[in-house]
Amino acid sequence: MAAGMPAQPQQRRIVLPPHRQRAGRPWSVKAREWVRRNLFPSRSGTILTFVALAIIGVLLAGMIWFVFIDADWRVITANRWLLFAGAFPREEAWRLWVSMAFVFTLIGLTYGTWSSLGGKDHFFIAVAGVFVVFLMAHGGAALWSSLWFVVAIGMLYAGYYATVWMPRETSARRTLQVRIVGGLLIAALPIALMLLLAFGGGQMRRLDGFVLNLVLAPVGIAGGLVVAIPLAIGRASSMKAISWTCTTYIEVVRGAPLLGWLFVALFILDDVFPGELIVRAMVVMAVFTGAYMAESIRGALQALPRGQYEAAHSVGLTRLQALRLIILPQALRISIPPIVGQAIAIWKDTTLVTVILPLRELKGNADAAIAQFEFTPFRLEAYVFVALVFWAVAFMMSRISQRLERTLGVGER
Amino acid sequence: MATALPPEAAPVPLIHRRRFRDFATQGVYVAITALVFAYVLVSLDLREFGFTFLNEPAAFNVANQWLVDVDGVTNSRITMYMVGVWSSVRAVMVAIALSTIVGVVVGVARLSNNWLIARLAMLFVEIFRNTPLLVQVVLVYSVFLVGMPLIENVISIGDIVFVSNRGVAIPWPVPNSGLWGAPHWFAGLWVLALLISAVVAMRARARRQELERETGVSQNANRRALILFAAGAVISYVVLGAPVWIDAPIVSGTHYAEGMTIEPEFAALVIGLTLYTGSFIAEVVRAGIQALPRGQTEAANAVGLSAYQRLTLVILPQALRQIIPSVTNQYLNVNKNSSLAYAVLYDDLFRVATIVQNKAGHALEMFFVIIVTYMAISFLLSAVMNFFNSRVTVHEV
Repeated sequence: MAAGMPAQPQQRRIVLPPHRQRAGRPWSVKAREWVRRNLFPSRSGTILTFVALAIIGVLLAGMIWFVFIDADWRVITANRWLLFAGAFPREEAWRLWVSMAFVFTLIGLTYGTWSSLGGKDHFFIAVAGVFVVFLMAHGGAALWSSLWFVVAIGMLYAGYYATVWMPRETSARRTLQVRIVGGLLIAALPIALMLLLAFGGGQMRRLDGFVLNLVLAPVGIAGGLVVAIPLAIGRASSMKAISWTCTTYIEVVRGAPLLGWLFVALFILDDVFPGELIVRAMVVMAVFTGAYMAESIRGALQALPRGQYEAAHSVGLTRLQALRLIILPQALRISIPPIVGQAIAIWKDTTLVTVILPLRELKGNADAAIAQFEFTPFRLEAYVFVALVFWAVAFMMSRISQRLERTLGVGER
Repeated sequence: MATALPPEAAPVPLIHRRRFRDFATQGVYVAITALVFAYVLVSLDLREFGFTFLNEPAAFNVANQWLVDVDGVTNSRITMYMVGVWSSVRAVMVAIALSTIVGVVVGVARLSNNWLIARLAMLFVEIFRNTPLLVQVVLVYSVFLVGMPLIENVISIGDIVFVSNRGVAIPWPVPNSGLWGAPHWFAGLWVLALLISAVVAMRARARRQELERETGVSQNANRRALILFAAGAVISYVVLGAPVWIDAPIVSGTHYAEGMTIEPEFAALVIGLTLYTGSFIAEVVRAGIQALPRGQTEAANAVGLSAYQRLTLVILPQALRQIIPSVTNQYLNVNKNSSLAYAVLYDDLFRVATIVQNKAGHALEMFFVIIVTYMAISFLLSAVMNFFNSRVTVHEV
């Protein structure tokens, strides 16, 4: 060391317990430390904890009192078919079960191919399964239907375990697998609709109850995407006529609430293209969601660095090729989170068809259930049940979207 | 040797010229759009298109009126519609204010160091964000309908607040003839005096804060402003002879009188909107705070700010930059979602419009009126928020 350098000040030695020692402490000590750090860090923190405990206590007590003591759930159990499928013909019920099994198999295949089911997922499926089976089999009247649900869950696991063991590395086999499952996913909606409706089975207008929600939402989401992608590209286009009309379309559609557009479906669209009301409702939902999704995709298009466009141009791609091969794949990946948010929104918005259209989905049939004389006092029970069902599906969707973000590496490059 | 001239460039065929292709594409596009548009116009029956039907007598009544008193016999349809607009605006304003409070509190609570508080906030968000707003609104309405007692067994809280299935009655300030029989418009004068003292107090506060920054000596800006405002309010109140008095509600027979009644319809709509939008705003607030670099929190701790000071002086002002645009979007959603009033029979603009359409037809015109109204309210909201954004946001450099 060169002379003349100022002497380093003596550092105070901070002695930390060795990592292994910290980790090896008994869990009781760790738990106590965790509690102290997270629940009783200071005086105000302790007060907050007790406030939270009081809130939780009141909520929990109220919930238990309502669910197990005050509420009378016969309004649900007595009307389960009404809530589930309403006016869908009973003798065609097998169509519902077969489509359900198909969709569940597809979910299993999808998870097996791109993701994996963790402990929490098994738990969620088990809870949902027990809940549905209990609801359906309660009173013994619909034991068969609950059996069908068990079969569908079995199909989910069959599809999952058929694919999950396959190696994920790129290979001819993997490519084939991805193509098959991807193709099935794209074709899922037409296949499911065909299973429901083909050969004069259940007619479109007999779709009712929860089944109507389950049909409307995917149709709205898929239709919305179909509308949204050209709209977003059009709005970002340099051609003035195209970008202006696309902008006008998006802003006008976003200007009025969905209820307003359903009003259009009921009173005005009939003149433009006559047909089943349910189809008009589907069109309106797709057109409505499309405008919102287009805005998400436009955001993603703008978020792409300019270099991507320039690079595509400099290697001699035409505009369409650049769009198809460079721009859209990246933009769609970025816009997955907002699009899933929009999908959840449209799932919740399927309830709105009940409000002004003479269509009855789950909430509409809950209204019908409490319109029966013997069940009029049980409004709360009916709506709590409806809320729970919608919540479960929306919650599942948001969880899947989080996983999708991780799997596809949104926000990473 | 002469350098070889580059060969004469062959003229690019028209079909490959970019400008021509853009032009042609747009031409084809415009033609197709025009055709579709023409088809729609032809298939709609436009022979009776016009807005004169709005001037005819309404022949229906509008419930949930506040500060207005119209009946359907003497008033026209457009008047009734404007009453509906006023009902919508009222619900939207209250819902926006409440959902902002709920959203900020829950959003901050989600990031709390206290594990229980953070979990509770998360539970709130996950429950209300993932349930349809319509179901929330009808649930709250059902609580009023079947969960609250009949007005005969009204719940009285100190004889000041009453709760029953007719709604909640609360005390409310009303114009009063006061000490020396002042006319009722003195109440308006007093409100004006309040506004003026508020403005004066705010300016005084800004001046004191400026002084504080320059000299470093505490000027108690907030306290001085508060005293100034209180003095203005009290002095004008006395001078005008107590022009406003707070009226406690009473139960007379089967309805409320005096005070103010919050009807179940209004309450259901506003509570539903508040919980739903509050959960979204909470997420926006959380994301805005999390986007800040950790150094901001650490720096605030290093200079010895308290947790509250850290939040209000360092974190939130900076997070606002990211929060305000998203929150503006949520406010616009509140405006549009207020149409769910239809489900609980609250007579907002959408419901009144459907009643008019039911009576008079003219669906196309009514839809036109609806969409223009919603767009106008949205435009006003975003104009206010943009102004707010430019004033409040912290700008670096």
